[in-house]
Amino acid sequence: MPPIIQIQNLTKKFGNLAAVDHLDLEIEEGEIFGLLGPNGAGKTTAILMLATVIKPTEGTALVGGFDIRKSPDKVRGLLGIAFQEPKMLWVATPWDVVNWHAKVCGLSTEERKRRVKQVLETVDMWEPRHKNVHALSGGMRKRVEMAKVLIQRPKIAIVDEPTTQIDVVGKHKIWNMLLELRDEGSTIILATNELYEADRLSDRVGIMHRGKLLVCDTPKTLKDSILGGDIIDIQLEKDASPTIVEELKSFKEVVDIMQVKPTNLRLYLNRVEEVVPQIMNLLMKKNVPVNSIRMSEPSLDDVFAHYTGLTIEEAQKDEG
Amino acid sequence: MRAIWFVSQIALFGLIASRMMSIPNYFQYYVAGLSVMTLYSAAIFIGFDIYEEAEHGVFEYLLSLPVSRKQLVLGRSIGGGLRAFIYVGPLIALSLYVIGATNPLSFLVALFALFLFSFGVSGMSITIAVIIKSSDRFDILMGVLDALIVRLSTAMYPLAVVQAANPLYGGLASFNPVTYAADLFRWGTGIEAIITLSNPLWPLLGIIAFFAFFTFFGVIIYDRRIEGGGWQ
Repeated sequence: MPPIIQIQNLTKKFGNLAAVDHLDLEIEEGEIFGLLGPNGAGKTTAILMLATVIKPTEGTALVGGFDIRKSPDKVRGLLGIAFQEPKMLWVATPWDVVNWHAKVCGLSTEERKRRVKQVLETVDMWEPRHKNVHALSGGMRKRVEMAKVLIQRPKIAIVDEPTTQIDVVGKHKIWNMLLELRDEGSTIILATNELYEADRLSDRVGIMHRGKLLVCDTPKTLKDSILGGDIIDIQLEKDASPTIVEELKSFKEVVDIMQVKPTNLRLYLNRVEEVVPQIMNLLMKKNVPVNSIRMSEPSLDDVFAHYTGLTIEEAQKDEG
Repeated sequence: MRAIWFVSQIALFGLIASRMMSIPNYFQYYVAGLSVMTLYSAAIFIGFDIYEEAEHGVFEYLLSLPVSRKQLVLGRSIGGGLRAFIYVGPLIALSLYVIGATNPLSFLVALFALFLFSFGVSGMSITIAVIIKSSDRFDILMGVLDALIVRLSTAMYPLAVVQAANPLYGGLASFNPVTYAADLFRWGTGIEAIITLSNPLWPLLGIIAFFAFFTFFGVIIYDRRIEGGGWQ
């Protein structure tokens, strides 16, 4: 089966700035594809081009076999979007928002009556359905935005940072909704800068930075692809000197070292059990007091750091 | 507020100014013109909505909906026109009470023309708003346009008077959608029979052309200016 989305050389420039820079990507039908990157990486711009909201400067994409440049109306017929910032203006209540959206998407009056109630109950918004949308909390507004996608049941659902500013319980609710939507047959593009969210939900993840797609694979493959299967985080009492960093690098098991903070070092390494005692010996010999040492497995943050040299927080600041 | 303004215009300006005019039934003439002017200013308001939508990012939502751009622009201009008509409806009813419609069929044709006029003005407002992309400049331009389009029309004075003041003004007023709407409304209510309009078909065609042009042009402009790369 051909991929449901084929992105070819997709580029969007705003003046001299390439918000999306020659993006090539394929998304399979029925998967949750996580588009991971810091704010300003180009995720939203890429999504808006796929949704035919903005036109590409260069390249194109086939969505469900339709070219976004040649058949935008047909492309939009396949898509449903939950925006990063909930879009509500002239309609007053959650019920109005979802009902209006369902009407535009072509649901019959009878079906609307039934489904609006069902969907608002699913997102826990039935009780406050007649509250003014502008009086709702950020989390509630996000849930109303999700309700639009749920009522539409699109072939391809695009969700842009669905759980930003939402509490843990709310996050889990939205994650479950996305998984259910995928299980019902929708393909989902999840744009996020939350690593755990991308890791937990995505069948595959594409990492974007400065408009470019750096790497794309399953979360497990990406994490396994980092040289050095283990990580240790060492917190020193004082700032780590360049000499000590160089000496640590000299261990053949140590693949890479990242100085997360002046006092914090993250070592990517192999055979952790063998090398940790040696590292501790070295630090003691050099009279470098250690506050703590912690072992962990690589996360998508490490994958991001591996490809960009920055943590996602640093990249976020960098873009800001 | 609009109603207070409207009633003040009739009760104060209309009544007083009509005493200075040698034109017969000028008071009724003015009331009919004022209805069209009010409809124009209510329909133009959709342009300000466009800026509010842009500010709140609602454009992106609208552009992502599974409807064609043509349906979207047509929907916006008809929605804006209809809203204006609903707002101004009670004022038009008041005008009818003051004027007194004589021929129901003519009045229905005139009402239909006012509908189209309202949609056309809405389409024009949307088109200008997306071309300008600045609410301040739009506000100023609307003021200028109001001064030109409304003053160079037969909303407040008969074409013969405009023509006598300056033949160029008369020429411009003859090809003005406000003139078409005002003339048809008067014809529908039976006033125009005693003033100037000889054939209602021309203003009706003029309004249809006005509506069709701004709907068609609006689709193209909306598509190019908004979808082309965001609002700003």
